[in-house]
Amino acid sequence: MYTPLRIDPTKALGDIATFQRKLAAGMGHLRGMREPEYANTPRELVYSEDKLKVWHFTGHGKTTAKTPLLIVYALVNTVWMTDLQADRSMVRNLLEQGEDVYLIDWGYPDGADRWLTLDDYINGYLDRCVDAVRQRHDLDAINLLGICQGGAFSLCYTALHPDKVKNLITMVTPVDFHTPDNMLSHWCRSMDVDLFVDTMGNIPAGLMNYVYLTLKPVRLNQQKYIGMVDILDNPTELENFLRMERWIFDSPDQAGEAFRQFIKDFYQGNKLVKGTLEIGGKPVDLGMVTQPVLNIFAEQDHLVPPDASRALGKHVGTTDYTQLAFKGGHIGIYVSGRAQREVPPAIHQWLSARN
Amino acid sequence: MADPANDFIRDYQTLAQQSWDAWTRQLQQQQPQPTVNPFFTPPPAPASGNDTLERTLAGLKGYFDWMQGAAASGAAAQPVDWRQQLQQLFGGASQPFAQAFGGIDSAGAEGFSRQWQSWLQAAQHSGFGDLPGAQAPIPAFGLNREQQMQQQAMSAAVLASLQASARYQALIQRASQQGMQRLQDKLAEHAEPGRQIDSLKALYDLWVDSAEEAYAEVAMSDEFREAYGEMVNTQMRVRQMQQQQTEQMCQQLGVPTRTEVSSLGERLQALRREFRASQTPASADHADEITALRRDLAALKRQVADRATAAPVAEKATPARPSPSAAIKSISKAPAKAARTAAAGKAKPGAASKSRISSRKRK
Repeated sequence: MYTPLRIDPTKALGDIATFQRKLAAGMGHLRGMREPEYANTPRELVYSEDKLKVWHFTGHGKTTAKTPLLIVYALVNTVWMTDLQADRSMVRNLLEQGEDVYLIDWGYPDGADRWLTLDDYINGYLDRCVDAVRQRHDLDAINLLGICQGGAFSLCYTALHPDKVKNLITMVTPVDFHTPDNMLSHWCRSMDVDLFVDTMGNIPAGLMNYVYLTLKPVRLNQQKYIGMVDILDNPTELENFLRMERWIFDSPDQAGEAFRQFIKDFYQGNKLVKGTLEIGGKPVDLGMVTQPVLNIFAEQDHLVPPDASRALGKHVGTTDYTQLAFKGGHIGIYVSGRAQREVPPAIHQWLSARN
Repeated sequence: MADPANDFIRDYQTLAQQSWDAWTRQLQQQQPQPTVNPFFTPPPAPASGNDTLERTLAGLKGYFDWMQGAAASGAAAQPVDWRQQLQQLFGGASQPFAQAFGGIDSAGAEGFSRQWQSWLQAAQHSGFGDLPGAQAPIPAFGLNREQQMQQQAMSAAVLASLQASARYQALIQRASQQGMQRLQDKLAEHAEPGRQIDSLKALYDLWVDSAEEAYAEVAMSDEFREAYGEMVNTQMRVRQMQQQQTEQMCQQLGVPTRTEVSSLGERLQALRREFRASQTPASADHADEITALRRDLAALKRQVADRATAAPVAEKATPARPSPSAAIKSISKAPAKAARTAAAGKAKPGAASKSRISSRKRK
């Protein structure tokens, strides 16, 4: 019978010395390092309102798409995950495919935005952003690409304003919030959300980040940074790591009322799939989504379990439904090498067949 | 008599600790120092004032201490009983699990828990050290009756919050213990030549897998959900009472309160909505009507479809779209067609080894 542990003490000391050496050497790279920039793909401002901005990306390639594509991101975290760095930019890859890409940047809510409701976001802001793009192109309907919570918003919007959406793409979008593997949903089911929002007002970004870290506490609080020590001597990889850290922790607060509604109606009530959801007093019926739908989800997603997204196929009213199961996680679907190769081309191919 | 090997390890540990401290100091020096305000003492904050830095350093330090402790204890070298060896490697105060979970309770959650702790300290300094009314309500009398009642309610809320936090921590502790058990189980699978764990890093990674699995199991339990909700709810009650007390004080000083500002914001937002609605053209109302009619039509169609058949949704696979690493699968909701497909044995497995596209079209 062998012992499973066969650790040579000399090698163990050597490992510690290596760890120390890498830390010491890493200081030279860390010192003076500036905040890593995002990809900053060239863009122009085409619409703004309050803290919201709609950007139009101006790529170098020729736009071949006849219908513009508006990206609707989540309210949590910033929209720059879609344009993180030059060689990991979903926006840039979509442009290279020939898409005409717009993006809603929701901005950073403050006390003045405390009373913004889901109605204000979906039937207000989002509707006016869609109108702005429609008017620019003199079109009745445009293509929407909703991401995560922005995907849920896009579904609601399409159900409420079907004439303004030509094709709908949802990415890592929760639809059924009560699948058994949804940790976030499980935790917030016993929370008194009214008390929470009445007390906190807007929900601080730091608190949101804290909750996300506790989904995988050891990996995200410790193991990740131990892995970082291995790349301290590689300026490029270190910069990529720090850029991701910037994106993770530079996130906006959540407008109180919208947060209250989203947790109560979506996470706790699961009303989107139950067919009992109302936005601004109007019923949201997924059966009204009769446009072609492409639903993209990540098979290793710990924030939005695949089954939570997959459920869309059962509830949506369209006869033209496509789903893409991506081998990766909630973030990898934008920034991994595989994502660059697979996701934008798949989106473009799907849209091209329906333009 | 001096033991040269132990002396070497002790010297090495001292040197390593010194270089670690130097590294930490250098990093912290890069952080901007807060401006000193002699008229205001800020609330308790992380030592570095930088959440990410604190978390990073705590995580690295936990790992570093554990590696040092493991090497210095000589546990890595003992070939006798590997379970005992494991206890030595993870049983000490330097085990990385404590730091990892310790970190989550101190970083982003500071606004969540530290405030009431500072309130508790302040209350104790003000003569409320025994938490009046916390055990059982005491009738209050006289001019300060309302304040006494509030103080009792606050004390009870703080106590409830402490109890809820203790319950939550007990579950975290349970996850920790179950993580160790899982680690033993996983290690037992490595007890053969070629699969043995031969480095501290490999052991650490296996421990992380075990700890996360155990944590996920506990975190998905109903007991955890209740404890989590109770912890959040009790902390919010304490915070709400704090805010009420602060607002009362502000009112006496003539300072506008959060509630007043928030109330103004609510009215302003309502006015903005009314203004937008008054500018909406009449055609939008017609669009709403058309949308409502379509919604009814969609619901009717679903009802008709549901009555027509109760057959399950079936899947039909079609050849892959020409993509280097993605395969296409069509899904049809049309029951009759699906049934025919299944009966003819035409259904193909849709899963490809990489990302896959599935689509369905109905006629």
